[in-house]
Amino acid sequence: MDLNFTEQQQNFQKEVRIFLAENLDQEVSQKVKNGISISKSESDDWHTKLNSKGWLSGSWPKQFGGQEWGVVEKFIFEEECGKSGAPRIVPFGVGMLAPVLMKFGSKKQRDHWLPRMLSGEDWWCQGYSEPGSGSDLASLKTSAIRDNDFYIVNGQKTWTTFAQYANMIFCLVRTSREGKPQEGISFLLIDMASPGVEVRPIITLDGSHEVNEIFFSDVKVPLENLVGEENKGWTYAKYLLTHERTGNANVAISKRKIKKLRKLATDTQKNGVALVKDPLFASRLAQIEINLQNLEITNLRTLSSVENGEAPGAESSIIKILGSEIEQDIDNLTRKSLGKRAFINEPDAFSVGYNGPEIEPQAAATASGKYFNHRKKSIYAGSNEIQKNIISKMMLNL
Amino acid sequence: MDLKPSPERRILFDTLTKYFENEYKLADRNTAAHSELGYSKEAWEGMRDLGILESLIDPQLDGFGGSPLDITTVFEALGRGLVVEPFLESGLISTKILSNGNENQKKLVGKLLKSEVLPTFCHSENDTDYRKSYVQTKLSPKEDGNFEITGKKVMIKNAVGASHLIITSRSSRDYDDQEGITIACIPSNRTGVTIKSFSSIDGGRVSDISLENVTVLKEEIVSETGKGYRIISEAIDFGILAICSEALGIMEKIKELTLEYLKTRKQFGVPIGKFQALQHRMAQLLVEIEQARSAVVNATINFFDLEERGRTISAAKFSIGKIGMLVAEESIQLHGGMGMTWEYDLGHYAKRLVLIDHEFGDEDFHLQNYIALQ
Repeated sequence: MDLNFTEQQQNFQKEVRIFLAENLDQEVSQKVKNGISISKSESDDWHTKLNSKGWLSGSWPKQFGGQEWGVVEKFIFEEECGKSGAPRIVPFGVGMLAPVLMKFGSKKQRDHWLPRMLSGEDWWCQGYSEPGSGSDLASLKTSAIRDNDFYIVNGQKTWTTFAQYANMIFCLVRTSREGKPQEGISFLLIDMASPGVEVRPIITLDGSHEVNEIFFSDVKVPLENLVGEENKGWTYAKYLLTHERTGNANVAISKRKIKKLRKLATDTQKNGVALVKDPLFASRLAQIEINLQNLEITNLRTLSSVENGEAPGAESSIIKILGSEIEQDIDNLTRKSLGKRAFINEPDAFSVGYNGPEIEPQAAATASGKYFNHRKKSIYAGSNEIQKNIISKMMLNL
Repeated sequence: MDLKPSPERRILFDTLTKYFENEYKLADRNTAAHSELGYSKEAWEGMRDLGILESLIDPQLDGFGGSPLDITTVFEALGRGLVVEPFLESGLISTKILSNGNENQKKLVGKLLKSEVLPTFCHSENDTDYRKSYVQTKLSPKEDGNFEITGKKVMIKNAVGASHLIITSRSSRDYDDQEGITIACIPSNRTGVTIKSFSSIDGGRVSDISLENVTVLKEEIVSETGKGYRIISEAIDFGILAICSEALGIMEKIKELTLEYLKTRKQFGVPIGKFQALQHRMAQLLVEIEQARSAVVNATINFFDLEERGRTISAAKFSIGKIGMLVAEESIQLHGGMGMTWEYDLGHYAKRLVLIDHEFGDEDFHLQNYIALQ
């Protein structure tokens, strides 16, 4: 049993640290560390810096311009980014669509779309969920009907993250009503500027705008934008979802947040004693820390079996459940630790133009908002109940 | 990075598991576990012949193992088999302590390997939770250069049938000071030793031992007077690592039994494992057991890092305590009435799993210890 990185991996870790120290904008990392959404231009800027180093496509195979990182390199990169407060790479293009195009797309599609993801010419969003199709995704109704050289798309997608920034969307659409629901789904790439596409914001309970509804009314999509074969889209979608669920441990991010919480509780007085010394608080904090430490090892155990040639299976569901619940536990305890000051909701407090009164402690500005916003973590990317269904089926054979 | 056991240890684990499955039937185990001795001498000697004890003992002392990874491997297999024979207090903790002793004391380890002796560890006392340094039993010097011990030790395993008692006592300082603890290894039939034994809910016997002016010869002191804390502290940490691994073995076995039951028991015309309410509870158990395993892995790889050992050992014992109780309670519930019977295996595993929380510190004790070490 050996938890150490190889010399090569250690060198890579150093290289990532140096790169982050030299390239990460401090204002951006402060925002990330305080849980504030960054702007599109800040995100684009970070993607450009990563791309010039070749790390935006670090996990891609060499033939597509990637570095062919193994699971450990990917882990090191994400760990260091998480520690330093680097923005997350927006996953929809490089992390989700790209693997699908590489495996199932045509050469023409790969040659066209992959470079544009890296250059930032295209910002992708994901058109999966619909009002009537959430966990039961295969029941989706948005239809694509062939008309000469085009599909005519009608329907509605929802919960579409960052659709307000996106110029392209990959969609699951219904091309057949024959047979099982899974057998009539196709995978289409749609230009958001097409006539008939309308994006409406969904404001979440914390007042922020991350997700949207998208309406399609007689939208014309060229046949060449079909990925793979017609009616085989479900296979591609499932392939994509396994990519979505890996890397959900967020250990480095949670560690950073726990450290911040511990600092907050050290600086907070409760009846003349530091909150961190309060036995009940200390017990809650320690339990989360232990659970996180265990998750770190669970995650490494999974990585180490993937590195040694075993296929990742429903283990990513275990990681997703634990990772999301632990982050939620930290957000919950952060809110509790603020006591009465948890009422404050000033999400702009970390922006340059903020001219309201000073907020003390600063964390109070967004803590409750983030707590409510992060309830999404056990709902998205396959709700934790769906993950348990997967574990029951794949690992327990029930 | 490789977090899997080596092939050699995998083979050791599989060999032991197969041996227990074939040679150690639960019905026989239960008969022995609830006998006057609390275990089967025959089974103990069979396991000795297999070399299990050697794998817990350092090569310097006639063994061929003794490392944290050897210990976790063996004890996980012992847990799966629900082995009640005295591996923990006698095979592991006593030998770890005796390895710090003089030549005669070290020779006891060799005799243990031949089943000529059976030492056991007598440390815990009343009026404390599980603090390692809490010792009130008194060691006083006698005029002839020897010592005598007076005090009471409680809930001692394997004292019935033990040939030697390894007793902690206080030669100086206050009752919970790390300084001033002395270890002595004496024959169990020494005058002044009275053993009262009770049946233990998880099998075996537990004993309260009263010590009244019990003579300890100076050559029976292990290491030096007053300097025993470091030795027992490390031995108990080895014990915690072992008992956590035993719990993992039990949890994996319980998982198998419960899954089997969910697949075969039918109600409303279908196997009850088809019901989502039960599937999700079972999936949650799987997730928690993986976390428990990670906690033990973490304690194992940090065992010789003196700064990290206390924290990771406490994190592991806390995780095992909390998750162990969940697994025990949920598996009984998922089995319905069957989980309540003496005849079926599950209940015996569940009892041992819950009682592991009462040995070397429970979930609350180790959470507090973890916090104190921050």
